[in-house]
Amino acid sequence: MLSLLIWLPILGALLLAFLPIKLSATNARNAALAVSGASLLWTVVLFTRFDLGTASFQMREFIAWLPLLGLDYDLALDGLSLMMVALNSLLTWIAICSSSTTIERPRFFYSLMLFVSGGVAGAFLAQNLLLFFFLFEIELVPLYFLISVWGGEKREYAATKFLLYTALAGAFIFAGFVGTVWLGGTLDFSYEQALQSEIPLPTQIVLLGILLVGFGIKIPLIPFHTWLPDTYVSASPPVAIMLGGVLAKLGTYGIFRFGLGLFPEAWSALGPFLAVWAAASVLYGAVTAIAQKDIKRMVAYSSIGHMGYVMLGGAAFTELSVVGAISQMVSHGLILALLFHLVGVVETKVGTRQLDQLNGLLNPLRGLPLISALLVLSGMASAGIPGLVGFITEFLVFQGSYSVYPIATLFCVVGTGLTAVYFVILINRTCFGRLDNETAYYDKVTNGERVPAFVLAAIVLTLGLQPSWLVLWSESTSARLIAAVPITQTAASLQLETSRDSVNDGAHL
Amino acid sequence: MFNADFFAQTSWLIPCYPLFGALLSIFWSPAFIRRSGPRPAGYLNLLTTVIALVHSSIAFMAVWQQPTQFLSLSWLQVADLNLTLPLELSSLTLGASVVITVLNLLVQIYTVGYLEMDWGWGRIYSLLALFEAGLTALVLCDSLFFSYILLEILTLGTYLIVGFWFNQSLVVTGARDAFLTKRVGDLILLMGVLALYPLTGTWNFSELADWSQAVLSGTQSVSPLTLSLIGVALVAGPISKCAQFPLHLWLDEAMEGPLPTTILRNSVVVATGAWVLVKLQPVIALSPVASGLALTIGSISAVGGALIAAAQIDAKRVLSYLTSTYMGLIFIAVGTGQTQAALLLVLTHAIASTLLIMSTGSIMLNVVVQDLTQMGGLWSRRPITGLCFLVAIAGLIGLPPFGGFWPLMAMLEGLLQSGQWGLIGIVLLANGAASFALVRMFGLMFMGDRTAFTARAPETLWLVVLPTAVMAGIVLHVPLMVRNFSLYPVDSSLSWTLGWTLFLSSAVGIAASSAFYVLERIENPTKLIPAMANRLLAYDFYTPKVYQVTAIALVDKLSLLTDWLDRYVVDGLVNFVGLSSLLSGEALKYINTGKLQLYALTIASFVVVICLYLSWGYLAL
Repeated sequence: MLSLLIWLPILGALLLAFLPIKLSATNARNAALAVSGASLLWTVVLFTRFDLGTASFQMREFIAWLPLLGLDYDLALDGLSLMMVALNSLLTWIAICSSSTTIERPRFFYSLMLFVSGGVAGAFLAQNLLLFFFLFEIELVPLYFLISVWGGEKREYAATKFLLYTALAGAFIFAGFVGTVWLGGTLDFSYEQALQSEIPLPTQIVLLGILLVGFGIKIPLIPFHTWLPDTYVSASPPVAIMLGGVLAKLGTYGIFRFGLGLFPEAWSALGPFLAVWAAASVLYGAVTAIAQKDIKRMVAYSSIGHMGYVMLGGAAFTELSVVGAISQMVSHGLILALLFHLVGVVETKVGTRQLDQLNGLLNPLRGLPLISALLVLSGMASAGIPGLVGFITEFLVFQGSYSVYPIATLFCVVGTGLTAVYFVILINRTCFGRLDNETAYYDKVTNGERVPAFVLAAIVLTLGLQPSWLVLWSESTSARLIAAVPITQTAASLQLETSRDSVNDGAHL
Repeated sequence: MFNADFFAQTSWLIPCYPLFGALLSIFWSPAFIRRSGPRPAGYLNLLTTVIALVHSSIAFMAVWQQPTQFLSLSWLQVADLNLTLPLELSSLTLGASVVITVLNLLVQIYTVGYLEMDWGWGRIYSLLALFEAGLTALVLCDSLFFSYILLEILTLGTYLIVGFWFNQSLVVTGARDAFLTKRVGDLILLMGVLALYPLTGTWNFSELADWSQAVLSGTQSVSPLTLSLIGVALVAGPISKCAQFPLHLWLDEAMEGPLPTTILRNSVVVATGAWVLVKLQPVIALSPVASGLALTIGSISAVGGALIAAAQIDAKRVLSYLTSTYMGLIFIAVGTGQTQAALLLVLTHAIASTLLIMSTGSIMLNVVVQDLTQMGGLWSRRPITGLCFLVAIAGLIGLPPFGGFWPLMAMLEGLLQSGQWGLIGIVLLANGAASFALVRMFGLMFMGDRTAFTARAPETLWLVVLPTAVMAGIVLHVPLMVRNFSLYPVDSSLSWTLGWTLFLSSAVGIAASSAFYVLERIENPTKLIPAMANRLLAYDFYTPKVYQVTAIALVDKLSLLTDWLDRYVVDGLVNFVGLSSLLSGEALKYINTGKLQLYALTIASFVVVICLYLSWGYLAL
């Protein structure tokens, strides 16, 4: 069942790249859409088969591969993986949809996109540390090409920077994994065995620290983030959607799966430090975004801030905050993809991304009213306005973490306020204002450009109004992650226990 | 015939009608307008507003003098958090939604006339309907959490509705400031919301009141510091909503939006903050610090707002600062625990200020200017509007037997009982100054000689004048509403001394103002006060400048600093380590040779070979 998510895109990629027939750009795009659409449909099937009651992994697939190394082809799914896989399938489709119809070397481009998608799906499903690492590293190759060939200005610089940073991240992660396996005394790299290994707490903290640096680069958290603005800005919109929407989630997924999951005791020991780190990332990302003059760069910095909320949810390590953090990964992916897509459309039509040149795009006759309206929606979703998915996921993180780390949480709330500041700057300069009639001869926005925006906006709105459809999948997984550590019952969690009772009483009124 | 109770039980539909209208109006986007014109969007929303009005009226009659009922709708249950949306069905909440829908209906009719020529009907009506939906939902819902959600959505609504004429630069900055100021309040309120739940385990207002009782009686122990911090956070949200000092500036700038939206904003939207404040009063009362904050802010806003209003020459500004004044009085009422008086003041202020702004707007529509010194002599040209304006003044200030008198009486009586003489003085002073400001405005607009602007200014379109006149009728009926719905004991036990004092404060204000501006006995009355004081009031205590050099400068400089740090220190360090030479692209120039696919293929084949080699042992088995 799960293998299909990996091999369907990869097979599609290979066929698209090597099939010896002539394919026009449009046909190549349609073929890629069909393949990614098929894996999206298959993901929907997975949702129907997913057993909500099971907290542990399900739909396991195992093929022994290299017993000598401890590397096996071992896939399984839990709530966290399901969310990530779904995000990957959806955003791959969206990214292909949002790529330009007149792209150069279309077959190569689409096959690389599909290749990335298949590989990432594999990483999210891998139950073997080495398999995860292998897929994590192999992503680099297609992404390097995607950035350096189809990117904007300074693309080679950006691609190489991305390559080096991620390779460095990979080295840390590898070191962490090898250390876990050797020191834990397990024979192979399977996740199941790693879970059972007993490592003394100080060693755990060291290993967790190594993994945190590795995944921290990938997420990224400050101060490991400087590859991000350059890379996101240089990458073309579809690639930026994949990078920010999906690839960044490899970092948070890795931290949750291998950091929090494997070393829960060390994780709670480092909790206060992680919360401060998260709050610092949130504030730094938001404040720096305010100073940006390039809207794509602004959105890129906003991403740093938003990943901080995920870390905060993880650091607080309560059931609610972990559900919130997992949902925040999804909501961030959706909103960021929408933002990058719209920014891409604006750039294509208007020809600039500079705030001091853009103006009045909401103009109903000569501007881009629909795209601007959706830009307002996505900016507000990112700033956490209720009714849109960004609010409820941030709120769950805040509510879950407040009782554990009140100060860090309050600083993160300040961060959402600053997020509103730069999105208002973005909207005021881009959508509001007077359109210059001399220069406003923009191409019509095509339906192909509208569809991805509509799909994402509809999901952002629907999940914002009906958040239970988002959170229910990861609930039992979060409960399992929390239960892994016999946490010292603090006054706060006791308080929550009593509060649950009183709320239930309230519901019977 | 029909079952009225059915309408009460389905009260949750009341916000849904306007919301539905708002959603449908979205279709009147530019492409569609070309075919149908913008007007159907307006008519559609008028229809949904009428339906909402009928529904809430029937529901109101059904629950009249019945015990309060609660409905709850499950929204989200995750981990240990259970979010159900509780609705309170009582004569208070349904009465409030009747008031909101009536005001909305009149404002929407007024908009038909006022924005006759505008192409943006779809947007303006969908936003008006969004506000209607948000306001009715807010009064019906009995939960702090959902109130917070609605307030935030209305913050976004304010941003969009103020930015309606988005190609004017003042509108853009006004929308920005309104949004950000309200957002600051919202987020501090959110902090309070977050902090309250672990202590109380509920966000339902009624249960929060029970919890406060438990804290008071000592069955629950919470540290005074926590209570103070939470109380302050809960007061801070309404401070920005109600345009209280120092977060009042947005209301003035928001006047750049279309006038019909201003009517609702200054009468009912600002009152959302007051409503939440009233609901939270038991929690706020737990902390002397929070109550003290409410009293201080309220007093400064009440007196300061009225004084500033008296010094403005912009008609819209007078109105916006007077709104701060009345909201300040509500803060004083809540701070001293007089929730009944606060709610009554919310009602009378909403109704009277709606009329006030409607009639002012009706003048500005064809006088073209909003500078009061450029107006004059309109009484003979615009008698209907002039009368409406006078009725609005009477309904707003403490002038018996009109509406505004009763809540102020209720407040003063409460203050007298607790012996808070200072606050009594403040209420009287604010009322006197407000009377002065309003009569001054009347004098400048309607009395004196005609100017070039007012020489040809007949009554405007009936679609503007008629709703204004109807509203005047409603304002005149407020005292009857107060008596018949027993909102305040009108007949018995009134303190005559207090009543006379209140009347006297209004009378002094009216008399002084009439002397200066209506009868014009004194030339250039501004010379009577020192120039510095005059400037201080005219420029709103220099608040915009204070903002510029504090909060705005701080965020601005900080963002420039981190941007610099990011570019030159954090990234600079990376480059310093020696990566820069690698990054310059020298090492990987193959990309430009056109043999890219070949290059990729090489990598791919090596990966495959390595995999095969590694797997060999397994495959051979």
